[in-house]
Amino acid sequence: MLRQRPLLVEVLTAAGLIAAPFILPYLGFTPTTINRILVWGLFGIGFDILFGFTGLLSFGQSAFFGTGGMVAAYLLTVMNFPHVITAVFIGAIATAIVGYLVGLIALRRTGIYFAMITVAIAEVFHFVEFNPLSDYTGGENGLPGVPTPVLHLGLTTVRFNTDWSLYWFLAFWYFIGIVIALRIVRSPVGAILRAIRDNPLRAAAVGHNIHGYKLTAFLVAASYAGFAGGLLGIMQGFMPPDAFMFDTSGQLVMQTAIGGAGTLFGPLVGATVWLYLSDFLQTTLNLGATWKLVLGVVFVLLVCFLRHGLIGGIKDLYELLTHRAAPPAEPQQAAAPGVTALKEQRAARAEIAKMPTAAAMPAAHRDTDRTSGAILKAVGLTKHYGGLVANSDIDFTVNHGELRGVIGPNGAGKTTFFKLLTCEVPPTSGKILFEGRDITGMSVTDVSQLGLTKSYQVNQLFNRLTVRENLTIAALAELRGKFRLDLLRRMPTIPGLAEQVEQTLKLVHLTARPDMPVAALAYGEKRRLEIGLALATSPSLLLLDEPLAGMSPSERIETVQLIRSIGRGRTMIIIDHDMDALFELVERVTVLQEGRVLVEGTPGEIKGNKAVQEAYLGGVAAA
Amino acid sequence: MSLLEVSRLNAYYGDSHILFDVSLNVERHEVVALLGRNGAGKSTTLKSLMGVVTPQSGSIRLDGSEIAGQKSHAIAQAGMQLVHEDRRIFGSLNVEENLILAGLSAPNRRPLEHVYAMFPRLKERRGTRGTDLSGGEQQMLAIARALVRAPKILLLDEPFEGLAPIIVRDLLATCRALAAAGQTILIVEQNISAAMTLADRVYLINNGHIVEQLTAQAVRSQPEILHRHLGV
Amino acid sequence: MINWANFISQCFNGLVLGALLALISSGLTIIYGTLGVLNLAHGAMFMLGGYAGWLAFGYSGSFIVAVIAGSLFVLGVGLLTERLIIRHFYARTPEDQLLVTFGLGIVFVETVRLFFGSLSKAVPPPQALVGITPLGFMLYPTYRLALLGIVAVALFALYLALYRTRIGMIVRAGIEDAVMVDALGIDVYKVFMLVFGIGAMAAGFAGIVNAPVVSIAPDVGESILVQTFVVIVIGGVGSFPGAILGGLIAGEIISITSMFNPGYSYVMLFVAMTLVLVLRPYGLLGSAGRE
Repeated sequence: MLRQRPLLVEVLTAAGLIAAPFILPYLGFTPTTINRILVWGLFGIGFDILFGFTGLLSFGQSAFFGTGGMVAAYLLTVMNFPHVITAVFIGAIATAIVGYLVGLIALRRTGIYFAMITVAIAEVFHFVEFNPLSDYTGGENGLPGVPTPVLHLGLTTVRFNTDWSLYWFLAFWYFIGIVIALRIVRSPVGAILRAIRDNPLRAAAVGHNIHGYKLTAFLVAASYAGFAGGLLGIMQGFMPPDAFMFDTSGQLVMQTAIGGAGTLFGPLVGATVWLYLSDFLQTTLNLGATWKLVLGVVFVLLVCFLRHGLIGGIKDLYELLTHRAAPPAEPQQAAAPGVTALKEQRAARAEIAKMPTAAAMPAAHRDTDRTSGAILKAVGLTKHYGGLVANSDIDFTVNHGELRGVIGPNGAGKTTFFKLLTCEVPPTSGKILFEGRDITGMSVTDVSQLGLTKSYQVNQLFNRLTVRENLTIAALAELRGKFRLDLLRRMPTIPGLAEQVEQTLKLVHLTARPDMPVAALAYGEKRRLEIGLALATSPSLLLLDEPLAGMSPSERIETVQLIRSIGRGRTMIIIDHDMDALFELVERVTVLQEGRVLVEGTPGEIKGNKAVQEAYLGGVAAA
Repeated sequence: MSLLEVSRLNAYYGDSHILFDVSLNVERHEVVALLGRNGAGKSTTLKSLMGVVTPQSGSIRLDGSEIAGQKSHAIAQAGMQLVHEDRRIFGSLNVEENLILAGLSAPNRRPLEHVYAMFPRLKERRGTRGTDLSGGEQQMLAIARALVRAPKILLLDEPFEGLAPIIVRDLLATCRALAAAGQTILIVEQNISAAMTLADRVYLINNGHIVEQLTAQAVRSQPEILHRHLGV
Repeated sequence: MINWANFISQCFNGLVLGALLALISSGLTIIYGTLGVLNLAHGAMFMLGGYAGWLAFGYSGSFIVAVIAGSLFVLGVGLLTERLIIRHFYARTPEDQLLVTFGLGIVFVETVRLFFGSLSKAVPPPQALVGITPLGFMLYPTYRLALLGIVAVALFALYLALYRTRIGMIVRAGIEDAVMVDALGIDVYKVFMLVFGIGAMAAGFAGIVNAPVVSIAPDVGESILVQTFVVIVIGGVGSFPGAILGGLIAGEIISITSMFNPGYSYVMLFVAMTLVLVLRPYGLLGSAGRE
């Protein structure tokens, strides 16, 4: 929705903000309430980018809200800084710096640990603000006397010192905040953040520095919080200490969840509901302190039943009413998966028949652009897991342009071997040379950037994104390197991106419905997308981990054809258990047994090899 | 009526279709082996029987009662017990605690002494924590734990994998004794020779389909069949 | 110059606080270890124990009745919460689980505020334990001394329950491998419900026995929750011994820091937590596993 017609959202927002003062009062909103909604809405934009888009649930935003507010208020009151909005900006910048330092600690962990750490951060900041730094922050009294902004326009001077004039001031900054946030969310960084939310493992494996991007999101959230905090002080005429309270963080989380996370406007909607209801319950219904209980119950009910908040609920309702097909349910709940899959297969095969085999996408030109000799060389590769020896002293060489198969009975160590090659796991001893360069001990991200990528046995897709978006994430890694802070860049302006995505779509035969979300795809299509993700990074060496896993006979045929077509002009190593299929594809086979290389040879040689038969059949062959 | 009747079982791992209309039977007091290459679906079959993986469609009847789709604990109470391929003993508990835990909810519990008699090594190590046991001892414990529940049918998932030949020999002897005493067993193995010493009948599975059903006798007289489906 | 009597007194306070935190954190950590859910309503459980106990004390005049009532009430709340709500969240994201427990915590706190107001209520210690006990060179409040004993006994009881009973064995096995417990014929959902109840009860018990020291109020749970988080991050999430070790460390840090400057105790806790995160990411006694 955020990505539909360009500028539509911005225009609607501006229109809404302009119309609000003429409509909302008739619905019972006081100007003070509306202003507070705007401040909370702005506060929440950054949080939504952190939680809704990146998936990091932070309970510590109050720390930044308070910091920005206090710095700005201190500048404006105690230090008599003349320029109001500049002070707010300084506050936001100071908060960003603090946010960076805090983020370095907090982002060491994810999920539950991260949430716990942010709770502790909120409490620490509150305590520090209350006690040791109370000289600066006014302790429990806050900082009074924050001035309202003044705009000198040459001939006239505009003073924003009434509720309604403040509204225009705040609405303006909210609008700016939304415009910037929309740019961020639509930028490559925004896409990568969403990928991190869906599947951080894969985002790192296609070559993105996810820690850097998470820190960026954290900084954005801190900056918005700091800016909003400064505005809070201006709006109230004083900077209250309760900005630092943990309750503030909690309120932000609840408002965002009520409104709908991942929409940028969720916090605004949530704040509207929250503040309106609290006013309504307290003044009109005279329920006193129970408003928070009511809101708490509303929140729990929404979390249980309306997982995407009010905005999500409205979207679902809209789609229901306009009969636009919502994506089919997850396959586990699908009624007769066999039937759907069959139809998909027939359709896919018909398409493959129609399509001319696409030219193989060239591997990206990397630093060493040799086209002959060894592309990968592993020497003495060994991996111990405690007492278990998974791989032992493996020497393995693959030449440019080769198609190599790796087989072995259960326990042979094939999976570990692949993980060592992509550097997902460090070896206990041994060395790996890629294009002549020692990559032992590097990270998965760096190795992927060098041109070595894997497709996974169990699909590792970005499940909430569409096919095209999935491939875009991978292509972005190749085109932009592992980390770039192009927060405001428009995606269409990245040279080569659209072409690379289109080419990959063609290669894996997914041009039919590229804008379908992953959840709606059939299994065979998902498998093709899985391979496509690896392909879109333009690897010079592609590893395929059991590409035929879980496929029906007809799907196998198609996938073999697919692999054959992408194998042209590309170096690949394939692990699979389907011998018939594998031997059709590859030129050479390496057989692993019990963590060691047993033998290497052409498929024909391997078939006739007694030792291999022995390994697989365990002695019956001799009988 | 067979003790175990599996009919047109379809199972998925996520949305990856692993088992395609798998059907097989196990009679009382029989040992049936399910053989196939890695990735063929052997483990998934056993996990579907035990309810660890919920089958998408198909029927599983144990002693006449339909159990497909039930939760693992209900299936365990019905008399099926699975020894996982990674054993999954409780490392933080000792040998005796592992065995006691297994018996807590069993409708007919085998006395510990009986089980210890089958695995004297475990009796020696009854106070040792699970994590401190060797691979072979852990495998013994995993099987002993299943036996404490006196299951109607014992499912063994690659019990001999990763064990030294001597241990395999001992374990094989124990399994043979179990079979001789009448325990019904469905065993999944990649170690063909070990499986063949135990099995009365054999099913071959390839890419999620059952492709052959033979008596052990027939297999021994025509080893090419195994070559074709399991070899290279 | 350090006033030694003061110092020893504070160390003792640290021990009492540490034991209390250890008990509360044990509850949180076994819930997380077994169910995989971080219960953000845990502080509210502490608070509920205090209020239920205070009510019971009002009716009976007996501190023992108050303690029993407080504990049983929170046990019931825990069992019901798991059965009615938490159970439906096992398949959902960890963030959703955090959100729902957070919301429940708010609902509990606000419900109490609705019925009993925001002002704190006092719960007097039992007659026998009122007053001061001379301990050699220093004087120490008798109830606090007794509190150390009470909490130590409770921790020991929890230890016995976990390590010497059949149920405890099931819980420990469930922390390790809940799926396998289910495959051995034990309905693991029943285990989850029991663990949630017992974990909550640990907090509720702490809430009522601590009430004579720090009066009860709707918001007491909030700071407890944060301290509990620090404890389990230091000790290792999912580890009962870790909760005890972490609790004692945290208790001492808070007490000794407040000797010099009360405002900094939180900061010191946070510094300790950061150190552990950097040097031993899984906590002092924790292990890699659930994230």
